[in-house]
Amino acid sequence: MKLILVPVGLAALVVAPWVVTDPFYVHLMIMVLMWTVLGASWNVLGGFAGQVSFGHSAFLGAGAYTTMILYLNLGISPWFGIVLGGVAAAVIALPIGLICFRLRGPYFALSTMAVAEIIRLVALNWESLTNGPVGLLITTLPPVTIAGSPLDWESKVPFYYIVAALAVGSLAAVAVLARSRLGAYLLAVRDDIDTAEAIGINTVQVRVSALALSAFLAGVGGGFYAMYLRYVDPDAVFSIALSVEMVFIAVVGGLTTVMGPLIGAVFLVSLGETFRTHFLTGHLIFYGLFMMVAIRYMPEGIWGWLRLLVANRLGVRNA
Amino acid sequence: METLIQSIVSGVLTGSLYAMIGVGLTIVFGVMRIINMAHGDMVMLGMYGAFWAHVAWKIDPFLSIVLCVPAGFVGGVLLYRFLLRKIVPGGELNTLLYTAGLSLFVANLALLIWTGDYRTIKLPYAIMPLRPMGISVPIPLAIAFVMAILLTAALYWFLVHTDTGRAIRATSQEPEAASLMGISVGRISMITFGLGTALACGAGVLLAPSLYLYPTVGEILVAKCFVIVVLGGLGSVPGAIAGGLLLGLAESLGAVYVSVPYKDAIGFVLFLLVLLFKPAGLFGEGKS
Repeated sequence: MKLILVPVGLAALVVAPWVVTDPFYVHLMIMVLMWTVLGASWNVLGGFAGQVSFGHSAFLGAGAYTTMILYLNLGISPWFGIVLGGVAAAVIALPIGLICFRLRGPYFALSTMAVAEIIRLVALNWESLTNGPVGLLITTLPPVTIAGSPLDWESKVPFYYIVAALAVGSLAAVAVLARSRLGAYLLAVRDDIDTAEAIGINTVQVRVSALALSAFLAGVGGGFYAMYLRYVDPDAVFSIALSVEMVFIAVVGGLTTVMGPLIGAVFLVSLGETFRTHFLTGHLIFYGLFMMVAIRYMPEGIWGWLRLLVANRLGVRNA
Repeated sequence: METLIQSIVSGVLTGSLYAMIGVGLTIVFGVMRIINMAHGDMVMLGMYGAFWAHVAWKIDPFLSIVLCVPAGFVGGVLLYRFLLRKIVPGGELNTLLYTAGLSLFVANLALLIWTGDYRTIKLPYAIMPLRPMGISVPIPLAIAFVMAILLTAALYWFLVHTDTGRAIRATSQEPEAASLMGISVGRISMITFGLGTALACGAGVLLAPSLYLYPTVGEILVAKCFVIVVLGGLGSVPGAIAGGLLLGLAESLGAVYVSVPYKDAIGFVLFLLVLLFKPAGLFGEGKS
């Protein structure tokens, strides 16, 4: 079953921009896939390792600013810049991990929020590097030719394929993680950190690894975000609201599942963006609503609930 | 010297309101171990309550506290009874995520209904500040200060001297032992959540004449509330009062003597230091 779904899904991703040409829907697909990357990033730490972070915008912002500054100041192409953005995010994640992992559960969550706010204030005031509240803007992207014809950056389609590749890569990375030894260690840490410690798991090392991977993915997502919007400012990429959105996508989609963030992003981002076209404000109302529903009725999110539904159907048919 | 006194005075004035918000958050945590991410949004609702009472019925914002505090209490009781009660047994992280959802829902509903426009309440007596001994004290903030002290003191008296108050403190210290002594933990939880919400709404009313009103103001306030209660030790009422005053002073002194741009970072740095080195709070009363 799964073996059929994966190639079908990949084929649908490749074909989609030919079928869907309306710029609004192309934009919607780009946002969905970008939030899949960010949700998958959060899920590595919040789902698999069970360390709920309310400060992931720190990594998104680090990736966005790194990509942007490397391109503007050193002329490094975003192709490398986005990856380097991920690396930068993973590097700043290490000291953050050393501080915050001394705390557990809700205290960890609150401390990550505090760290992200401190980083936002630094970005706001370190004007020589970040240009402060004004932000950084790029007008042109480097020319790229594929098979002899130049890519049209004014069209959204190239961005679509880039973010689709990033999303597939992130989900694949999480799928590999879920089956790896590290993944098993993370689940042990999530379920009972003292027992994990007692059976010889180096819980600090394991959590820091999860944080580094998580931050790397968030940084890559941030780098893409900066290139797609061609603009960054501290309140746009370091806000608490972005951290919270990542949490919601992962939890509503399905905590600790590989596909959960994709489902969460499809569901919440489509609802939110459609809502935004009809009303000026308040597009996150469904995020809040579905978070409450998910915590109360769907502990494994929409994806877990769907799987349960399918399993029950099949079970009835078999019996 | 005058600057020093001025910043101490403004720090204490703001700090008293921070303390009132923090006390609401801390009693809710103490009894139910709920980390209420929606606490700031309840302050926001209180602010809008005062604003609309002022616009619609020309009620002075400080008088509308007699409407908003009971409304907050009833709202909190209902919220606990119908939504949160089922979530609390799932653990602290579940309630944290649930109340984060609630917070986003309330803030966005407010955005839809009231739009994101910044609003202010204009009071005739707010134009000229009081000037005792060359220090400037805005009148609305002075009234808010006095009322915040009265309300917080009333709550403190209630917790210390009434049976229900004793039951709340007992539940906060040891829920199982409290229920063995015949305290209905469910009822106490409901009342406590109502009190916490009432304090948040009351603080919102008192803040309304001094701050800009907009639906996402709760986001900033909630971060500050956590700084306050962690400074004083989660679950400790005197700790929250001290934490509120400390944060108010740290912000106003920090803005003068450290740096204006990093004024808001001071609280967060203090917060991290306390979490790391004195997780039970500066006075060692909280539960970590």
